[in-house]
Amino acid sequence: MRISVTVNGHSYERDIEEHWTLLRFLREGVGLTGTKEGCAAGECGACTVFLNGKTVNSCLVLAAEADGGAVDTIEGEARDGNLSAIQAAFSRNHAVQCGYCTGGMILSVRDLLSKNPKPSIDEIKAGIEGNFCRCTGYQQIIEAVLDVSGQLTPATKGELKYV
Amino acid sequence: MSENPNPSEMPNPSEMRAVGVSHPRVEVVGKLTGDALYTGDLVLAGMLWAKVKKSPHARAKILSIDTSKAERLPGVHAVLTGHELDYRLGLYIVDKDILAKDDVRHFGEAVAAVAADSLEVAERAVELIDVTYAVLPPVLDPMQAIKPDAPLVHPDLGSYSYVEAAFSPQPGSNIANVTRMRKGDIEAGFSEAEWIIEREYTNPSVQHVPLETHVAIVQWKAGDEVTIWTSAQSPFTVRSLFCSAMRLPLNQVRVIVPHVGGGFGGKAGIHLEPLLACLSRKAGGRPVKLQATREEEFSLLPCRSALTYRIKTGVRSDGKITAQQMTMYWDAGAYADYAVNVTRASGYSAAGPYAIPNAWVDAYTIYTNKPYGTAYRGFGHVEFFWGLERHMELVAQVIGMDPLEFRMKNLLRPGATTLTGEKITEHSGDPRKCLQAAAEAIDYGRLTPEEQERQERTGRKIGKGLATLHKAPAMPSFTATAAVAKMNSDGSVVLNIALTEIGQGCATAVGQIAAETLRFPVGKVKVAIETDTDKEPYDWQTVASKGLILTGNATVLACQDLLAQAYEVAAQVLRANRDDLDHDAEKIFVKHNPESSVSFAALSVGYAYPNGNGIGGPLVGVGRYVAQGLSNLDKETGQGLPALDWTYGAHGVIVEVDPDTGEFDVLKIASVFDVGKVINPAIMRGQCIGGMIQGLGTALCEGYIYDQEGHLLNPSFTDNKIPTAKDLPEVIESVAVETAQLDGPFGARGVGEHPMISVAPALGNAIHQATGAELMHMPMRFEDVWRALLDKAPIDNWITDSPYGSCRSDLPSGPHPLEVAAGPELQPREAPVATAPV
Amino acid sequence: MTDIFKYRSPVLRAELLGILADHGEDARVLAGGTDLLVDVRNGFARPKVVVDLKRVEGFSDVSWSQAEGLIIRPAVTINDILQHAKVRDSYPLLVACAQDLASHQIRNRATVVGNVVNASPCADMAPALLCLGARAVISSRAGHRVVPFKDFFTGVKQTVLRPGEILEEIIVPPETATARGSYRKLKRIKGHDLGIVGVAAMKKDGLLRLGISSCAPTPLLVEGLSEADPVEVAVTAAQLAIHPISDLRCSREYREHMVGVFVRRVLQEVA
Repeated sequence: MRISVTVNGHSYERDIEEHWTLLRFLREGVGLTGTKEGCAAGECGACTVFLNGKTVNSCLVLAAEADGGAVDTIEGEARDGNLSAIQAAFSRNHAVQCGYCTGGMILSVRDLLSKNPKPSIDEIKAGIEGNFCRCTGYQQIIEAVLDVSGQLTPATKGELKYV
Repeated sequence: MSENPNPSEMPNPSEMRAVGVSHPRVEVVGKLTGDALYTGDLVLAGMLWAKVKKSPHARAKILSIDTSKAERLPGVHAVLTGHELDYRLGLYIVDKDILAKDDVRHFGEAVAAVAADSLEVAERAVELIDVTYAVLPPVLDPMQAIKPDAPLVHPDLGSYSYVEAAFSPQPGSNIANVTRMRKGDIEAGFSEAEWIIEREYTNPSVQHVPLETHVAIVQWKAGDEVTIWTSAQSPFTVRSLFCSAMRLPLNQVRVIVPHVGGGFGGKAGIHLEPLLACLSRKAGGRPVKLQATREEEFSLLPCRSALTYRIKTGVRSDGKITAQQMTMYWDAGAYADYAVNVTRASGYSAAGPYAIPNAWVDAYTIYTNKPYGTAYRGFGHVEFFWGLERHMELVAQVIGMDPLEFRMKNLLRPGATTLTGEKITEHSGDPRKCLQAAAEAIDYGRLTPEEQERQERTGRKIGKGLATLHKAPAMPSFTATAAVAKMNSDGSVVLNIALTEIGQGCATAVGQIAAETLRFPVGKVKVAIETDTDKEPYDWQTVASKGLILTGNATVLACQDLLAQAYEVAAQVLRANRDDLDHDAEKIFVKHNPESSVSFAALSVGYAYPNGNGIGGPLVGVGRYVAQGLSNLDKETGQGLPALDWTYGAHGVIVEVDPDTGEFDVLKIASVFDVGKVINPAIMRGQCIGGMIQGLGTALCEGYIYDQEGHLLNPSFTDNKIPTAKDLPEVIESVAVETAQLDGPFGARGVGEHPMISVAPALGNAIHQATGAELMHMPMRFEDVWRALLDKAPIDNWITDSPYGSCRSDLPSGPHPLEVAAGPELQPREAPVATAPV
Repeated sequence: MTDIFKYRSPVLRAELLGILADHGEDARVLAGGTDLLVDVRNGFARPKVVVDLKRVEGFSDVSWSQAEGLIIRPAVTINDILQHAKVRDSYPLLVACAQDLASHQIRNRATVVGNVVNASPCADMAPALLCLGARAVISSRAGHRVVPFKDFFTGVKQTVLRPGEILEEIIVPPETATARGSYRKLKRIKGHDLGIVGVAAMKKDGLLRLGISSCAPTPLLVEGLSEADPVEVAVTAAQLAIHPISDLRCSREYREHMVGVFVRRVLQEVA
C-alpha cells in the first residue's frame, strides 16, 4: 500500500505493509530514528509523536491511518540547527540522562504548553504522565518545564543541598 | 597567573572552575534532537532480523525440536537449536547454554532462534518451529529448593568450571554458592545480650526496566572476525566473555557501544551477543540484529534476584548491638550469572554501616526454575537493606529506644571495624552526619504544626521513617582502568575512556575532572561517547559506582602526563627550565617573563621551528589506575579488604497513611550521601532523584508474580508498574556531605547505585511509625498495608495460588512470631517517643 | 506475532457494514486501536482484515439535543468527550470517568465506543454509561437494534455484539443531563493504571445509581437506591451486587473492602 504523509513539514510517499505501525514507518520508512520503541503497547510513551496535531503513541497507530495526514516528530523540534526553547530548558535543567525517553517527553511537553502556557506542577505531572522515565525520576524534567514557561523561582528551582 | 607552580599539582578547591559546577551534559544535544544513535537505530548493509523461540514452561525436558518448516520458509537464512552450539556461558559459574539443549530451566528461556530478511519472516519462522516438551513440576520457592530432597535445577553442577577463589557451589544441591563471614565470637556476643530479636524479611524479583530494551547486532565474518554492536555497560567484558565462550582470540573481536538507553546493571554483562554471533555465522556472515520486546526484557533477559533475609540480633538495653547472625537466601533463578557475586558482595556488607563486634553471615545463592538474577543497581544492597533497616527499626522498638538514637549508637565511627576487619577512618565518610541530616530534613521525631493540622483535617496518619545505607564497589581487588588524553592541533583535547555513558553522566563528570586537571575550560575537552574496544583503552565494567574514582584518577594521570609532555617540548622551545614554566588554557609561558610563551596548538602535534625543524610529536597522555591495597576475602571467615571506598547515606521519608484502607502518599523523601566531592551538582542530584524514584518503585509497585507452574503472570507494563511523574512525592530533596576520599579525584567517591538503596525500609519505617503496621515483605502495596494494619495474613504475591500463595511453606501463615528471648516483659508500644539523638 | 492483514478505511457507512458482513469473524473494527492493536501484537486477535471506521462520514460526531440527549458516534475519542463543552457542562460523570482513563496520549486515540465494546471488566466508561441509563444502537448491514447498556455486557470482554455488527451510537438520554456524578478508581500507582476497583455514583431527582467496574465479570449497575438513603444502604447494596475475584492485582477481600470505601467517598463528592 502506498501512503503519503507529511513529516516535520516534508512530504513522503512510501510503500508500506498494511500492518506497519506509524512508529515503524517513521523509523524504517522515513529513516527518522529519534522516535523510540519502549514497549509497543501504548504504556511507556517513548514513541510519542504528533499526529494531526495530537500526541499519540505511534506504536498503536497504523501507518495507513496516517495516510494524508501530518506527523511531527522530535526531529522537527529544533529549527535550522537551533535548539527550541524546550530543548534548551531540558539541557539547562539536566532533564536528560540516557536520552531514550527524551524525544517523546519533549513532544508531550510541547503539547502541554501549547494548551496551557503556565501549567502548575500537578498539571505538568499530568501532562507527562504517559511518558516513562527510568533515569531522572522526573523532578528535573518538571523543573525544565517550569523554566521554559517562566515559572522557575528560587522556591521551585531545585538545588543540591550541602551539609 | 596560577599560584600552583607545578603542573602536576592540583588546583586549590577555591580556585576550581570545572569541578563542582553543574555543567551541561556533554552529549545532551544529540539526545535532545533525536540524532543520538542507539544500537536499535543502526541499519547495516545486509542486516538480518532475529527472533527467538521461547519456552512457555518453567521446567521441562525438550523431547524434540522440528525446524524443517522454518528452514524452508523463504527469507529465512539461519535457524539454530541448542544442540548445534558447543559453547558454555557464565561469568562466575559456567552453567548456561546459548540455547537450551535438553532442559528448559525457566519460563521464557530461549530454545531456538531464527535470522531472516524481515521481522515478519522471522516471527513466522519462529511460529513454524515445533517443540515437544515433557513438562516437569518446577521448583519455585527458594526455601524448598534449598532442601536436600528438592529436584535439581543443575544436576551436573559438580562438573561446571567456576571461579574457585571466590565461590563455593555445592554439587548435588541447588546451592550455587555459599558465602560466609565470621567476625568475633557469636555465642559470646549473644550471651552478653539482654534481648535477642529474630525476624525474616523478603523481597521479590524486579526488572531493571531500562527504557531501551536489550539489543545487539553481531556480524561473524570470514576468518572468524566478529564485530558486535551492543547496548552494553561493559564493552571489554562483552569481548572477554564472548571470546572465552566462543574460544576466539581477543584481537578478532571488536565491540562497539553507541548510546545506551539505560542499563541499571541489566546490561552489565553479556546477554544476546553469543546467540546473534552464531546466527550470523550460520547465515554466511550477514549482520544479525535482535531487539528484545518488552515482554522478552521481563523474562528472556534476566532480572534481580529475590531475597529472603533472616536476621537475629543480640542487643543490650543500652542499645548496643552485641551480636548479629545474618542468613541470606538469594533466589537466583535458573542460572548463576552475577547472582553468586551479588551474594558474596552482600555478604561482606550485610550488617550495614554499624559497628557489630560479633557477626556471622551465611549467604546462599539458590537455583530455582525462574528467570535468573543478574547485576542490578545496588548489587544486592537494595534487597538486603530492606530487611536490615526494617530490622534496626524493630529492634529499637522492642527495647523501647527511639530508632534514630538506636542507629546513632551503633553506626560506624572512626576506629570501628567492618565485617571484614577493615578499619574505618575519619576519611572513610560520615554515616552519622548523613543520618543526622536526613533526620533534620524531615523534622524527624515530631510533627510540624502544618503536619498536625493536616493529620487532624484528613484523618490520615503521618509518619516519619529513617534508614541508613552503605556500599563499596563490588569488584575484583585489582580492578583497573586507563584513560588516554590526546591533544588536537588547535590545542583542544579528546579523552578516550571505556567507562560507558549509560545516562549516569560519567562522560561529563570525567570531562570536568580532565578540564580541572588541565586548567582548561570544560568546553575544550571532548569526551568521546561511543566506545570501541579497538580504540578505547581497557576499563573493567561500568558498574559498582567505581567509575568516578578509578576512571577519574586515570584521567587525572592522563592529563598530567599530557601536560608533562607539553612542558618538556615547551622547555626546549622557550629555552627555559621546566620548573620556571606555567600554563593557562592557551599556552605555556615562562613564569618570570610571561611574554615568552608557546601555544598548546603549536606544540600539539609536533612543534616546528621557523626554519622548519620539527621536535616533539603528537601529545598523547596516558593514565592508568588500579585499585590499591585491596585484598581477597578469606573463603571461611570473610576477612580481607575488599572496599575501594565506602559511600554512606541515609533517607528520611514522610508518609501519610489512610488507617482504614492502607492507601498511602509519600509526602517527602530527603536523601543524603557522603560523596567526598561533588563533581557536578545537577548530575549528582539527577542520580539521587532517579535512584530515589527507582527505589520508590521497588518499594511500592514492582515485583514479579508467578503462578504455581512458574509462568510469569506480569511480563509487561500492564501489571508490572513503574513510577510515573504523578508518583513523585510532594517534596524530594538531595543533600551532599563532602568528607573527602583521600585517594579519589578531587576527593570524590561514587554514588551511582546508592540513591536507590534503603528507600524501601525508610518508607516501611515511616508507615510503621504512622500506624503500627509491620511490613516484612516488599512491595508494600496498599493492600499489604491494609493487611498489616488488621493483622491479617500477608500475601507474598510472588507465587499465587489464587487467592493466597506463600513462597515460604515452612513458616506458619499469619503474622510472623516475634521471637524474643530473655529481656523484660514486653509492653505494648505506641509509636516511639522521640528523644534527642546521641 | 503480527499477522499480515489488509487495511480498509471506507468513507461510506454502507461500505463499512458490507465489509463486516462479508468477512465476519475475519474482520475486526479499528477505532482508536489502543485495544485492538495490542491484542493483534500479542496474538490474541488475528484478523485478516482490519476495518478503520474513522473516515466514515459523521462517525466523529458528538451531538446533543434536548429531544434526543447526547449521541456519541464510534470515532469519538476520550479527549473529544473531555473537551466537549456540552459534556463538560452537563455530564460531570462522563468527565469523571474519562479523565482518569489511561494517559493523555491514549485518550487522544481511544474511543468511548471502543472502550465499552472491548468490555473489559475494568472499562472506565462503562460505569458512567450504566448510571446515566445510556443505550447502545447496534448496526449491521441487516439493520439496527437498541440495547440498554445494562444489558450490553455479557461476560469478561463479551457483549451482545454479533459478527458483522458495530456499536454505532451511544445515546445518553436527556433525562440524565445535569445529573451530578463522580467516579473514583483504585489504582496501584498514582500514574496511569487500569482500575482495581472503580465506583461511579450518579444522583438526579432523588435517584441514586452506582456503576462499579473491576468487581465482576462485567461492569455493574446498582439501582433501586435513592438520594435520601443513608450511605450505608448504598454500601451494602454495592457489596451485595459485586462478586470480585482475587487475582494478581488484588485480593477479593480488599476489593470488597474498597468498594465500600469508594462508595462512601464518591457519595461524599456528589453531595
